[in-house]
Amino acid sequence: MHAQAGSQIVVENLSHMYRPARGQPVLAVDNVSLEVRPQEFLALLGPSGCGKSTLLYLMGGFLPVEKGRILIDGKPVTGPGPDRGVVFQHFALFPWKTVRANVLYGLERAGLPRDERLKRAQAYIDMVGLQGFEDSYPSQLSGGMRQRTAIARTLAIDPDILLMDEPFGALDAQTRSLMQSELLAIWRRSPKTVIFVTHDVQEACYLAERVAVMSARPGRIKAIVETKFDRSDPHLFKQPAFVDKVDEIWELVRNEALLAQRLVAH
Amino acid sequence: MAMSETLSYLRRGRVVRRHSWRYTIMACLPLVVLLAAWELTTRSGLVTPFMLPPLSAVFGRIMEDAASGELASAVGTTLWRALAGFGISAVGGIALGILISQYKTVRWFFDPIISVGFPMPKIAFLPIMILWLGLFDVSKITMIAFNAIFPVVTATIAGIEGVEKQIIWSAQNLGASRKRLMWDVLLPAALPQILTGLQVALPIALIVGILTEMAMGGYGVGATMQTASRMADSPGVFAGIIEIAIVGYVLVQAMAFVRRRLLMWHPEALDATAA
Amino acid sequence: MAGLTARLIRYSPLLILAVLWQAVAQFGLVARSALPPLSDVIKAWFALAATSGFWFNAVDSLYRAFAGLALAIVIGAAIGIAMASSKPVRAVLNPIVEVFYPLPKSALIPVTALWLGFGDTSKILLIFLGCMLPVTLGAYNGARGAEQTLMWSARSLGASRLRMLMDVVFPSAVPEILNGIRTALATSFVLLVSSEMIAARSGLGFMIGFLGDGGNFDAMFAVVFTVAFMGFIADRLYQYAMARTLQWR
Repeated sequence: MHAQAGSQIVVENLSHMYRPARGQPVLAVDNVSLEVRPQEFLALLGPSGCGKSTLLYLMGGFLPVEKGRILIDGKPVTGPGPDRGVVFQHFALFPWKTVRANVLYGLERAGLPRDERLKRAQAYIDMVGLQGFEDSYPSQLSGGMRQRTAIARTLAIDPDILLMDEPFGALDAQTRSLMQSELLAIWRRSPKTVIFVTHDVQEACYLAERVAVMSARPGRIKAIVETKFDRSDPHLFKQPAFVDKVDEIWELVRNEALLAQRLVAH
Repeated sequence: MAMSETLSYLRRGRVVRRHSWRYTIMACLPLVVLLAAWELTTRSGLVTPFMLPPLSAVFGRIMEDAASGELASAVGTTLWRALAGFGISAVGGIALGILISQYKTVRWFFDPIISVGFPMPKIAFLPIMILWLGLFDVSKITMIAFNAIFPVVTATIAGIEGVEKQIIWSAQNLGASRKRLMWDVLLPAALPQILTGLQVALPIALIVGILTEMAMGGYGVGATMQTASRMADSPGVFAGIIEIAIVGYVLVQAMAFVRRRLLMWHPEALDATAA
Repeated sequence: MAGLTARLIRYSPLLILAVLWQAVAQFGLVARSALPPLSDVIKAWFALAATSGFWFNAVDSLYRAFAGLALAIVIGAAIGIAMASSKPVRAVLNPIVEVFYPLPKSALIPVTALWLGFGDTSKILLIFLGCMLPVTLGAYNGARGAEQTLMWSARSLGASRLRMLMDVVFPSAVPEILNGIRTALATSFVLLVSSEMIAARSGLGFMIGFLGDGGNFDAMFAVVFTVAFMGFIADRLYQYAMARTLQWR
């Protein structure tokens, strides 16, 4: 299969076996092929356990690619790296470091001079709206603030690609919608390629330009749907075009969600 | 059995603990009750002064020893040995734990040794240690370290292996090398569990220290207690028990204090990264 | 068969150490008195096993440990459950538990020797006192954890207070009690060996000292390792028994 010229991320016939310590190996990702354009916002949508997070981890280089290929800018993925920043659902902040220290970490690893590091860290802390909390520890922050810290930490290393694994899944509904608009605002200001994993259809439609719908385990790409809307419209969620699109995608997901429920969890 | 504590987050970035006098009084109550019961029992004539010397006699003995400097020298000796052994087991145990968690061969070699050695009454090896290392401090401290190292090693391994995958991934994502990963991420993340291992090891160090003194003589609280026992010196024996109890209590409190300080960022029993 | 090879691989470092021991001693790399060859130690063990004295001492030791442990388990568990179920009991016993918790149990050796001399009773008392605490704590925590809903169901089905204790609280507390017993088991061995080395006239711990003083190092090593492995085997057997007991819960 020929990769389209200008694709930043190319996934070719990717399969992955999940091997738990006890029990049978399970096929998590089944022959997935996907292409992502530079600075595109793509959502990976599917029911629980469908392998969307696994796909993201493979792109991030956290899991080894055994069958198939993943090419980033034409080069195969061999391990994690600062070109693909990752944000996890449960934040994965360093609990013994303050907000500032967390954000500084990637900058320190990059070897930037001290003044530069502090300046940049502060800029990103301000960007996510955490001024005043630089010296707080994660355990003292709310869920939304922790996620903002995680986002600031990842953005600080200025990755070309942003991999987000259900980043707002652990937040309450109100914080979640605030964070969604903020994420879009940040993305508009410094456009990056974003792969956004979620099980929330509305969230996927709102944030992404394309939504890749995945089947229940083993994960395959069932369909890719374009979701182009005027996102500056404050009443977007009530627009008929939007509502129809959500319904369309929900239909695609629904069967898979039912299937996923019947599958026995490991 | 839990006492209530008052913990208040006053300002961002600062954790302040309010000490209530009520708390300290409640904590001392068991002790006071026990001491009162002791005094009453001796006065009641239920037991002979030999079996249970009056509180006054025991305290008198402690004061005597304090005045003559005996107390300081005995407690000091016991403490120095226990802490030396503990220190060795702490450094060695953490180092060994790190190596075991990182290198398969090291793990393969030490796994059965730890698994078999843990439930063994290692004190049985004392005569062999005496044979090898003599009758003085070296053999005592070595035996202490030999006993105390086990919980430190297992706690270190468990702590490092228990670090959330996603924290490791984040660090790698941000550019951490393997070496950086150990020092920047794995050890700090494992610190709570490592400290627990150290908190288990410290009382073990004290217990084994006292045992070696009882078995080998020389200076130290254990030795004086054993001598007192042989000479039917009942107040002496009980004085020793109280002295050791106090030393044990102080050490445990000191470790708890160190733990609170080092883990200021960590809401105990609450994973800071979970929502 | 695969399981057997896996086990062999797992424990082979111990074999390697044994071979190393034999090699070092055989080639005279260390003084003979410091490290007798493993082969000599094994020979000495068999020589000892042929004497009745060895077995009498072994029985002495095991009897003391078992008696002390049995008392500690029964009384400790009863106290723990009583403390969890009754406020006045807890009020009276809590101070004692809290004060004795940080006390190193080895400090009780001179006291028990003072009271009861060098015989069996002092050891049994020592082990009883020293091993009671982990069982009590396990029973207390386990009993407290007994689910409220289970208790209410039992109550509504007409169970008396005592029945509830036996039918609901105690079974719920069993896993924690079993864990406490495991700790107590290890402690009992430590207290047994150390008290026999320090203040006894018989028993395996005493034998170790006796053989060492007499310069019979081969036999001393043999008894040391016997005692050490007894502790190990006891723990493994207990773990197995515990797993089986908890299996059909």
